[in-house]
Amino acid sequence: MMPVAPFFELGAFGAFGSQVAAVAIGIAFGVALERAGLGHAPKLAAQFYATDFTVLKVMLSAIVTAMLGVFWLARLDVLDLTLVAVPETWVLPQLVGGLLFGAGFVVSGLCPGTACVSAATGRGDGAAAVLGFFVGILIAGLAFESLRSFYDSTARGVWTLDQWSGLSYGVVVAGVVAMALLAFVVAERVEARA
Amino acid sequence: MTRRVLACVAGVLAVLAAFAGSPYRNDRAGIDVAALAEEVTRETDHVTALELAQWIRDRKPGLRVLDLRDSLSYAEYRIPRAEQISMSDLVSRRFPSNETLVLISDGGAHAAQGWVFLRARGHRQVYFLRGGLGEWIDEVINPAKPSDLTRYFGGMPRMGEPSGMEVGEESAVTRAQALRRRGC
Repeated sequence: MMPVAPFFELGAFGAFGSQVAAVAIGIAFGVALERAGLGHAPKLAAQFYATDFTVLKVMLSAIVTAMLGVFWLARLDVLDLTLVAVPETWVLPQLVGGLLFGAGFVVSGLCPGTACVSAATGRGDGAAAVLGFFVGILIAGLAFESLRSFYDSTARGVWTLDQWSGLSYGVVVAGVVAMALLAFVVAERVEARA
Repeated sequence: MTRRVLACVAGVLAVLAAFAGSPYRNDRAGIDVAALAEEVTRETDHVTALELAQWIRDRKPGLRVLDLRDSLSYAEYRIPRAEQISMSDLVSRRFPSNETLVLISDGGAHAAQGWVFLRARGHRQVYFLRGGLGEWIDEVINPAKPSDLTRYFGGMPRMGEPSGMEVGEESAVTRAQALRRRGC
């Protein structure tokens, strides 16, 4: 069986079709976040007080669903995995970026996606967070030349968990799913005690 | 209840994944030695320097030129659009199935070995430059009979000195002429 996906790379969608699909998926993503209550900052901040792990559970659900979907669709030759773009890794810059992202998450109670959802539903804190993103992007862009050497440091190219660990792709999938299911159980128990 | 069912489904799919083998089609492709031999016989395993030059000039979609020489040789002279890669990286990296890979080495032997490795890993659109960088220099950069194609790459006739060059200016021709065929 010849793969039929990714649709754009294999010619099923043209450029316009892929943009329409991207907009539709983006809207669906926003609606799902809002329906899950993730446009409300106190709900997200509750994670840091160990009283509500909705964010963790939503993220892990998304990771597990996507991971199993990608693995099995590729294994059944529906998806050509070599045509799926994988972001490259820069270890130190991404560690620092992750810390900065986490700090912003704690301070605002919102991450980029949920901030957009929050702003779209008319919340002032969401709008302030979105404004903050653009100011931050502008400052980082203006200071980029002085950041460039750090930005380009510790480059590892496309570096996936199976390459890093030396384990097979399927074993990594099993490990991540096991970790996610364990995290679900622990989160539910902590929530029950709160 | 629904959550438990979904968790069980995820768990079962994950356990099966551990034993399902690679999700990459290429990894599951067996080595068909007879088919490889047929390709060699039909000479569809390689490209000539002029064919490669044509592909580069025409910006052939998905073309990727991989130079297997060491960094020093690569820094000294490289074919336009070529990227340097070691043999170990070549065999461990996954290339998109819609890319056409052309392997280059000094004399062609290393590139031919790389071709075998990549074909054995299931990559279909792989070629090597038959005569290596030496052929590129002889046919494109320093050709006996120049053409529009060779001139596109700055090629000069084999006999005589390049004209119209300022003192200290280094062209593709002079850099390439300085090279000698080395090893494989």
